[in-house]
Amino acid sequence: MFDKILDSKIWSFLFKGYGLLFLTFLYLPLGLIFVYSFNANAINMAVWTGFTFDWYLTIFGGANSQSSFDAAFTESPARIFDVVKNSAIVALTASTVSTVIGTATAIALARFQFFGKRLYQAFLILPMIVPDIVLGIALLIFFVGAGFKLSLLTVIIGHTTFLSSYVFVVVSARLAGMDTSLEQASADLGAGPITTFRRVTLPQIMPGVVGGFLLAFIISLDDVVITYFIAGVGGQTLPLFILAMMRRGLRPQINALAVLLLLFTFIVAAIGLYLRSRKK
Amino acid sequence: MNFLNITSARKAYRTPEGGFIHALDDVSLNVRNNEFLTLLGPSGCGKTTLLKCIAGFEDIDSGNISLEDQSLKGVPAHRRPFNTVFQNYALFPHLNISDNVGYGLDVARVPKKERADRVEEAMELVGLKGFGKREPNQLSGGQQQRVALARSLVLKPRVLLLDEPLSALDRKMRENMQIELKNLQNSVGITFVFVTHDQEEALAMSDRIAVVANGKVQQLATPTEIYDEPANAFVANFVGTSNIFTGKVVEQNGKNLKIETANERQVLATSDHFNLGDQVQVILRPEHMKLSPDGNEISECCIEGTVEASIFVGSEMHLHVNVGKGRTAIVHHRHNRGDEGERIEVGTDVKLYYSPNAAHLIELVED
Repeated sequence: MFDKILDSKIWSFLFKGYGLLFLTFLYLPLGLIFVYSFNANAINMAVWTGFTFDWYLTIFGGANSQSSFDAAFTESPARIFDVVKNSAIVALTASTVSTVIGTATAIALARFQFFGKRLYQAFLILPMIVPDIVLGIALLIFFVGAGFKLSLLTVIIGHTTFLSSYVFVVVSARLAGMDTSLEQASADLGAGPITTFRRVTLPQIMPGVVGGFLLAFIISLDDVVITYFIAGVGGQTLPLFILAMMRRGLRPQINALAVLLLLFTFIVAAIGLYLRSRKK
Repeated sequence: MNFLNITSARKAYRTPEGGFIHALDDVSLNVRNNEFLTLLGPSGCGKTTLLKCIAGFEDIDSGNISLEDQSLKGVPAHRRPFNTVFQNYALFPHLNISDNVGYGLDVARVPKKERADRVEEAMELVGLKGFGKREPNQLSGGQQQRVALARSLVLKPRVLLLDEPLSALDRKMRENMQIELKNLQNSVGITFVFVTHDQEEALAMSDRIAVVANGKVQQLATPTEIYDEPANAFVANFVGTSNIFTGKVVEQNGKNLKIETANERQVLATSDHFNLGDQVQVILRPEHMKLSPDGNEISECCIEGTVEASIFVGSEMHLHVNVGKGRTAIVHHRHNRGDEGERIEVGTDVKLYYSPNAAHLIELVED
């Protein structure tokens, strides 16, 4: 009896230790980015020379005391604003359109029987499994072949194709858990198909739809590989921009940008989780 | 004019193995206005399919369903003047109780004032006044059941369809709801078509019962007729317990018949419908069979046997009596309090007798 308690204490200590270690492993790199984004040292970010908000200020154009030396290491706020705007346009449009397509498809597959349904379902999930680089090249070949000029529009179309799959999967899961007798009950009480959809089906799957939208939004926001192939001259998004910056060296402004992107993503995810918990 | 009339309805489902299941196999049924009709049958007998076809959730393959001689063919569920109480209630989880009850009125764009009044009235009818602001998951099963009823009744349907609505409730609650449902049906004057597999429930509540099995209506009659004069062996066995002996009429004296059973015993019965030489099945309810352990009480004793099992169920002793050739008769013997002498041990030789009037004869059908 006594032995057992001792045993379990040791085990619980080990388990806690392991858990902590694992979390450290996951979050240490992110923590470092966060810390370095406040490091005044412009040349070697691993050496701490003092605390500064300058890197954040350079992003928003608020660093007046910038030396010409610093300026060489930073991108102009106008340029950053441009790519952030591009990213926002792409992420918002692509995730909105794919939410509509993905949801409609999920409902069609959940509620109707038709020939070849299983195969159709498999094809819908496939874009999630296809390696990004293959998808990127394929989209590029398609756009070029179809005579599209690479631009923000091609990025939006490209994102919409595979994001629809993600939304489809998330909404399908929600639909699978929904009691179909609710729709029958609605019809039974006199509601036509459209009213039933608006008043019963949609409210029931709303957490899935919102979740799918947010997932699509986040994926679109930080996609690099596919976007890299299909973004034209005017279509550079924030992740592509950061990647381009990296080519010219690891610079502290990148840390600040990365932290902001991370914070934004966390906020979006938090909203998603909150909505999910609220709708039980 | 017919009220709700189902004629020669057929519906088959394809099985995964490529065969067909005839859920409805030539079903004809006439539901009268204002009656409480129960579709009674084992699971998979087609009773729920029939209900769904009436509601309009499914279409029959052939045949016709009509209301007051107007065919309902092609009329979708939301245009039929029927409402359904679902087995799992199917309350809308995202709406509170009063919005659940008011759903049909909202869809029909009933004016605000009238909607409020009718919702209030319906909630009062089912005894849920003041529950309007609660969420469905805050209510007990019995209360959710009432909400489902109110939600349907508020629309004043021509027919209320109930799909095993009491099966999810515990026994006590179920018995209370049986009485309430029956009273409710009387007070609102709406036709109820009630689906159940529970024969006691059916006998307790119905004006008429349609016993359904294998996609066919086996018998449509009042509860007493169903119990006392089952149309066939299936009905006799499904509704209550029956002792069924197969035999041949060997003596006829007016209405009084003597039947020799397959295990070479002679039993008595009265019937207008059978004659000398007819092959029949004799149906005897266990509570109509009495026993005299000493065998002296009646001159013309019917069946002799040995007690194989004796089960005490409180109000009665259920005796399984071996009557020879492997046949067992079940006898419900009244149990008197403190009457130890009445206790019948396994292995006792007994004689069973009954009033010939209690025996119900049906034609022998070869399966």
